[in-house]
Parts: sequence; structure tokens; C-alpha cells
Amino acid sequence: MPRLTVGDLQKIKEKHKAEFTLREGGYRAKVTVHMGTCGIAAGAREVMTALLDEIANAGIDDVIVTTSGCAGLCAREPLATVEIINAPPVKYCDLNAEKIKEIFREHIMAGNPVEKYALVVGCETMY
Amino acid sequence: MAAKILVVDDEIIAIRSAERVLRSEGYDVEGVLSGREAMLKLEQNNYDLVLTDLKMPEVDGITLIRWLRNVKPSIRIVVITGYPSQETIKEALELGIIDYVPKPFTPAVLSDVTQRALEWRKCGCEAEKSKEEIPPAMLSELDRVVKEYKNKPGSLIPVLQRAQEIVGYLPPFIQKRIGKGLNISPAEVHSVVSFYSFFTMKPRGDHNIRVCLGTACYVRGIEGVLEKIKDSLKINIGDTTENKKFSLEAVRCLGACGLAPVMVVDQDTYGAMTPKKAMEVIGQYDPSFTGATAKEEAERQLNKEV
Amino acid sequence: MEKVRTNLMLCAGTGCVASGTAKVKDALQKELEKRGLEKEIKIVLTGCNGYCAEGPVMAVYPDEIFYQKLTVEDVPKLVEEHFLKGRPYQKLMFKEPEKKTAIPMMKEIPFFKHQVLRVLRNKGLIDPEKIEEYISRDGYQAAAKALTQMTQEDIIKVIKDSGLRGRGGAGFPTGLKWDFASKVKSDIKYMLCNGDEGDPGAFMDRSVMESDPHSVIEGMIIGAKAIEAHSGYIYVRAEYPLAVKRLHLAIDQATEAGLLGKNILDTGFDFELEIYLGAGAFVCGEETALMRSIEGKRGMPRPRPPFPAHKGLWDKPSVLNNVETLAQIAPIILNGSEWYRSLGTEKSTGTKVFALTGAVNNVGLVEVPMGIPLRTIIYDIGGGIRKGRKFKAVQLGGPSGGCIPEHLLHTPVTYEDIVATGAIVGSGGMVVMDENTCMVGTAKFFLEFTTDESCGKCPPCRVGTKILMDMLTDITEGRGKESDIETLEDLGRDIIATSLCGLGQTAPNPILTTIKYFRDEYESHIKHKWCKAGVCRELTTFLIDEKLCKGCGACLRACPSKAITGEKKMPHKIIQDLCVHCRTCYDACKFKSIKILPAKFQGDPAELEAVLEKSKREAE
Repeated sequence: MPRLTVGDLQKIKEKHKAEFTLREGGYRAKVTVHMGTCGIAAGAREVMTALLDEIANAGIDDVIVTTSGCAGLCAREPLATVEIINAPPVKYCDLNAEKIKEIFREHIMAGNPVEKYALVVGCETMY
Repeated sequence: MAAKILVVDDEIIAIRSAERVLRSEGYDVEGVLSGREAMLKLEQNNYDLVLTDLKMPEVDGITLIRWLRNVKPSIRIVVITGYPSQETIKEALELGIIDYVPKPFTPAVLSDVTQRALEWRKCGCEAEKSKEEIPPAMLSELDRVVKEYKNKPGSLIPVLQRAQEIVGYLPPFIQKRIGKGLNISPAEVHSVVSFYSFFTMKPRGDHNIRVCLGTACYVRGIEGVLEKIKDSLKINIGDTTENKKFSLEAVRCLGACGLAPVMVVDQDTYGAMTPKKAMEVIGQYDPSFTGATAKEEAERQLNKEV
Repeated sequence: MEKVRTNLMLCAGTGCVASGTAKVKDALQKELEKRGLEKEIKIVLTGCNGYCAEGPVMAVYPDEIFYQKLTVEDVPKLVEEHFLKGRPYQKLMFKEPEKKTAIPMMKEIPFFKHQVLRVLRNKGLIDPEKIEEYISRDGYQAAAKALTQMTQEDIIKVIKDSGLRGRGGAGFPTGLKWDFASKVKSDIKYMLCNGDEGDPGAFMDRSVMESDPHSVIEGMIIGAKAIEAHSGYIYVRAEYPLAVKRLHLAIDQATEAGLLGKNILDTGFDFELEIYLGAGAFVCGEETALMRSIEGKRGMPRPRPPFPAHKGLWDKPSVLNNVETLAQIAPIILNGSEWYRSLGTEKSTGTKVFALTGAVNNVGLVEVPMGIPLRTIIYDIGGGIRKGRKFKAVQLGGPSGGCIPEHLLHTPVTYEDIVATGAIVGSGGMVVMDENTCMVGTAKFFLEFTTDESCGKCPPCRVGTKILMDMLTDITEGRGKESDIETLEDLGRDIIATSLCGLGQTAPNPILTTIKYFRDEYESHIKHKWCKAGVCRELTTFLIDEKLCKGCGACLRACPSKAITGEKKMPHKIIQDLCVHCRTCYDACKFKSIKILPAKFQGDPAELEAVLEKSKREAE
């Protein structure tokens, strides 16, 4: 990255929004796998690998997969957040490779959240 | 009998010049152009020493070294490389190479390193390792680190951390060497080493088990897990097993309280431990580990005899 | 008080906030004031409703009307139509989606409902290894503001006014600390970050460094500007490899982007930042000890004054802030001190992150407004005690803190109220203990820690903690004397009064609070040689109550020393000679038929009272 000026910060913000958000970036879905120390220890890597395999097998390119830090609820790791365009994000907990595959088929591909694995819908409060 | 040496390099010129130098010293030298060929050769014949390049297409040097450590751990390895990046050298050192020669090399350096590598005897008992038994490559890496930090204020602790990474532990002569390099008295080096629990003056086993004694782990029953590990490995906290496979440490909170009780083996964190699960985890690192305590083993022995 | 006729529930979920909740709120407030409606119509920020794609959303009560995709431009018209003329503003009204899932919403789940994220604002939302993602969530905007539009005094004033207090333990006002250091004249000063999170049971700093490293760096840049420092260190525990890796990456990225190093953002301000790995000594969490450690020496504290603001690292003026404190800085600079004070209490403002662990159901990292009761954190957010067991105590503040009993669970979490109980907020480790925890054993556990970690420089701490430790060992192994409790208390108070640094000055806290609230447990250990929780092995006898035993065999199978015998469906028996008092059978029994009795107890458990009475009489 080149050296930034104050004005560049806003530009990066807008560019990032244009590229990585669902509506502006032309994506249909975004999956965030939470990979802090506890997530990794609980098996987040396996979940991530299984998901990437499924996406590769399905041959689709409108789903972003990204990693992030701890989601806060260590007792229920591995956690992942699935966000489909025009719908609130859904957090899934206690995941494993099999469950994320099912979530991929049902939620990401067919658009129906998998209630039995879901923890909560929506996003956290900040103000 | 002449020592048998295998030279692995994807450049024919490098092989030719190594052959020329080493044959004139009376060694039995063979050369191969790839890691894969080297594996085939190594499977069929016995060698005393392997000289290998790191950067090669397909099977690279690190892969070859790793494979060799598993298949024929007694063969000594020296790395010849044109790109001694810190990362790869560190990795190679961790895998147990004896030395490395930068490319291009002079005949004198090559024959010198080869001779030293062949004379270097691996000591069976780690605890008695003395200066002569630390591979020269480790020492030169250590000296490089010391030089890098020499003029920085407050560099003793980072240097000790790097030294422990390279050598595995900090025996007195290493501490002296560091003190000399940084111009700090040996007493001061020792006082710092003994103050911080991160530093160890005893060699560690192949795998380091750290058991968390944080509050959350305590409340969720780590003590039972620790007892079981101590009993089954037959060691105390701070010790290394007889077969040098495992060392056991107790640490003050690994900051993974959400997974309590927690233990870490090498770099991997394992949560929600029970005595039984801990045995399974340790078993993953050593297939011969049974989890039986001394008492149980004695009983089993007794039953067998009956 | 005037009657509020309408509540505007404006969503403050991350999604809506990203779409502009804050601006809409300000516009609404201004418009209501303009129309003289501010007293009858109140704006309330709420948790997520699950309509994140339509944000910002607002619900109007009692009208039960939803508005969506609010913009600042819409506000005047909306206020005029709905609140002045009483006609819901059709253009922005929300159509409820036909299909709703059965998955609960954030505001319906207590774990999420009570939390407000400020420190953890990017929790689970950004990839910590990509600086663009941090920037995309207003990252480095505060640093830019501080470097271009604010003077040193401006920055210090905002932080002072915000009431932010150090989150590392002592709760010293951050603005004041910066003020002291800024006023000292020196060509070299240091801005330091304490990431040597040593309190067992606390892991918020690890989590912040791992999941949002740039937030710490940004806080340090602002602090550096405030005190005029041009170099700094982040001191991190070597036990946190992932945090170290991500911090290194973040510093490299920030340096490459011109956000660290020379001439930051072309403003002419320089700040070089380095990482320093700790080597595992709890006492290095103390500021003077930490600075000694960066100097490459034994991490021993030294007496203060001189304070680090005058003579710190290499005798230069230095400021040391904790990770969580630094992560709070950027939003305060962006949103102002009033915003920060809108949560929390008068003296303990804003939010605090707690690591909620131990015997609760929802173990995790939670961020709550200061001042909410302990009970809400443990029972609502934490989901109560695991396995339906009974709550016994909550431990706050690690080895420097104390245990708070059930009858004080109404205590609000503020620096002052927690200190009044004998514990401290500390770095925010909150370990919940259930009925299976022995409080004498817990005190001993912490003393073991401090005895081990005492650096040995001052005698009260070095010798005193050892004596306390020996006494506790005696009590838990059946050699306790009646006078011990008083001696523990006296000696504890002496150590607090005479130790050199925070480690010794707080080391007796776990003992003093457990004696204060759980004196009966000490007494039963000493007088009856009885650890009722069954933890201290020498002070227990395990017996099966034959009247309750169903003969299911669960204990027999669980026993590691084969000390239990009995036929199926017949009452089982424990062979006392073989029993190692490990309590495995007690946890295995579903019928509560296993009783924990005083050491060397014989006979029928039902006769316990009589036996105790007899031993008491004998003692007299």
C-alpha cells in the first residue's frame, strides 16, 4: 500500500465498501468464520476448509469467505456468520465440517437459514 | 572405509564442483539433480552425510530434510544454499541439520564443513550436551542474532528468546556466549534467565506440553488433568520424559479461559480437557504412549506373569 | 418530570450504525428540539431487530410503526408529519417481511441483549490481517483528526472529559496520566502499551490484539501525539503467539501505509512502534517492572515517585496504557466525550470488557456499560450456573481481587462499588464458582500464584506471602489452628500496608475476602477437619448413603482406584482404605447418594450432627 494522506482514508473506505459489501460489490453472500485462539482450538480451520471445498465444488464465485477474530461466545465455538443479500446476518454455533456443508446447501445456496444450528439473527449493539 | 556422501542440487555445476572437492579428500561422493531422485537413492543405499540445496523444483530441500528425519534420522545433513533466508535456515535448524554452507563456496569451506559434520557425534543424552555437541550452524546463527542486536539498548531478553528458539534451551555456555557478544556480565545474563519463567536451562523434549493453571481452568478441574498427565508421563512439572518425547510445564493462564481447562502442546491449544481427553491428545503425538501410570503398568506386568 | 408520550427506538445494531444511526440520531434530536418536542418524545437506542439490510431502522412506540432506511434529509419531514401532525410518514414506513425465521434475534437473547460494543466494535466483523478492513470501519479517522485538527491540549481534554479510566486494573484516569507526561519537558518520551495480560482468568487483551490490532495502534498514535512521544513499544506476552503475529503484521501494514514511522499522513508527526515480547513474569504487568523488563533487566518494580510520567523507560517520561484502554481512544476522539459518558455511571464511565468464565453456561468475552449489576452479567449474559448447580462466589480481579458472595450480586460493576466489596474490577476477569468450589482452596490457589510470582525485592511480599501460603496449606491439610483465621487477617493487612508494589499490596485480597464472606468454611476446615465441597482431600470422607443408593453402578465404573463394591441394584459401599478422595464418584452419582463428610468419619451419615456436637464438646 502506498503512503496514505488523510483524504485517502475516506477513499479506501468507499472503495472497500464498493468491493466487499454485498450490494455494491455484486456478491450474493458473505460468510465470516471466526478465528481467534479459541475458535481455532475448537476446530474453525476444519470448518473453513470444508466450506471452501463446497464452494469450489459448486463452482460459484458470488460468495465471499472471510475470517475474523473471536465472536465473543467462546463456549459455542466454532462460530460463523452467514449474510445473504437483503437479509440480516445469521450466526451459527458449535459448527463442524458436516454442519457447515449443510448450511452451505440450505442457507447459502437455497436461501433458507438452518434453524437447528443457528444461534441468533441480527447484529450486535454499538453506540 | 571412506564416508559416503550424497550431494543434492538442481544445478549440475554445483554437483560437479562438490564432487571434485570432496573426492580429492577421499570421500565416496554421488550427486543427484532433484529431491525425488535423492529420496530414491536414500531408500536404497546408506549414506553418512547428505549435502542438499534448499531451493529446488518439486521436492525442495526442506521437504527432503523433513522426510529424511523421519525415514533415516541417523543420516547427518548439511545445507548448501544460495539464499540463506532466516526463515528457511531456522526451519532447517529445527529439523536438525548440522551446518550450512552459503553458495558460492570455496573448496576449503566445503571440505572443512564436511569434515566437521562427519566428526560431529550426536550425543544420546541431551542433558549432557556441551559446547562441542551444539551443531556449528546453530552457533553461527546465534552469533548472527547477537550481532544483529548488539548495539540496541535492552536487547538481552529478545536475544535470549531467539537463542532459546534456535538451541531449544539456554545452557550456561550459551548464556556466556551471549553475554560476551552483548558485553553483559555472565552474572547479569544468568539473573535475567532465572527471573523469567519463559526461559529454561534444561533441554526440552520433542513436544512441549503446557498445562494452564489459570483460575478458570482451576475452577473447571485442571488439577485432575495435570495429575493424570504427571502420572502417565511419570514426570513432574519442569521435567522431560525419559524417552525425550515430552516436557511438561505449568503456566499461569494461557488466556484461553473460554475453553477451560486448557493445555497447549507445542503451538496447538486443546480445550475442555478431561484426564481421559488429555491422554488421547498426548497419544496423537506419540503412538507408543499408552497413558498408563506406573502403578497400572506394574499391575499389567503382574497379570501377564500370572 | 414531564410525561414522555412517544419513544423512538432507534436501532444501534452494527448494521444500522454502519448505515448512519449516529447522524440520524443527532438530526432527530435537533429537529425535535427545534419543534419543542424534545421533552415529550424520547430517543432510545436499542439492540438489533434483525432488519439490518433496511437500516437504519426505528420503531415508534406506542404507535408500533416501523421506519426504515432513514437519512438525515428525511428527518425534518418525518418529524413534521408524524410527531407534529400525527400522520405516519408513508414514504419510509416499513413492510414487515412475510416469512420470518424461528431463529431468535439479538435483542431476544440475553447474552447479546445487555452488551454494547465499543472496545469490541469490530468484533467478528473485520479480517484483522487486512488494514483496509479496519480503515473501512472508520479506522485511523480518529488518528487523522487528532493529528490534523487537534492540539495536544484538545486531545487530553477530550480524554479527561470522557472520564475514561485505565482498564488494566487500578482505574487511574487516562487523561490525567497523559496530562502529566505532556507537561514534562524532554526531547525523548515513550508511549507504551501493556499487553502483558497476566491475571489468570482474563483474556480480553489477547482477544483485542488478535481480532483488532489496529485499534490498539491507533490509540497509541493518538496518545503519542498527546504527550509528544515519537517512539513506543507494545509489550506482549510470548504466550500469545497469534496476537504477536497479528500485531507484527498490523505494524508492518501501518508503517507501509504511512500511518506509523516518519511524517504520519503527511502531517509531519513521527511515531515509531515496536513489539517487545515478555518472558513470563506476572509482576511485569506493574508499570515500573514492565519498563525495567523492556530495558532488558529483571522485571522488578521500583518505588514511586518518581512516577513514570517523569522518569520511566530509560529514565525518560513515559506513559503506559493497557490494551483495552487504548482500544477505547479512537471512538472517543471521533464521537466526543459526551458520547462516551452516555453509558456508565458518573465516576465509572463507558463500557468495560469482562472475560466471563468458570462455572457459567455462556463462557465468553462480554462488553457491558459500567454500572450494570453483577447478577445481570452472571445470570442473564452468562446464562446462569452450569449443570443446574448453586452459585457460590464470583472472583473479580485475579490474584489481586476477591470473591464476592451471592448476597452482593446486586452490586453494580463500577470501580467504587466493587472495591467496597473487598474485590477490585482489575483487568476484568470474572470467574464464577459453584458449590463444588472450596473457598479456602481458592484462596490458596491465588496465594500460590502470588508467592510464585513475587519478585522477591521487598520482604513483606516475599516472606509474608510465603507465611500466608504455609498457613493455608496447613488448614487445607488438616493442621489448622483456631487462631489461624485471626493471624491470616492481621498478617494480610500488614502486607497490604507495607509492600512496595501492587502485587504485594493486593496479594492478601483473596484471603481477606474469603474470610469475610466464607468464614464458616475456614471454621469447618479447622474445627471439624471437614471440607464440605470435597476438594481438600485430607479433610473428607466419602460415604454412600445406603438409603439413597439405587445400585446403578455409575460410581463403581467411574472410580479410578476401584474402591467401590456392590452388586447391581443393591446399595454400594466405598472401601475407605482404597479411596483416594478424588470426588469422581460424587460427580458421577445421579441420586446424590454420596455424602462428603469430615475426615475419618465413621458410621451413619445421618448421625453427622451428633458426631459434630460431640467433637465440639470434647474440644471445649
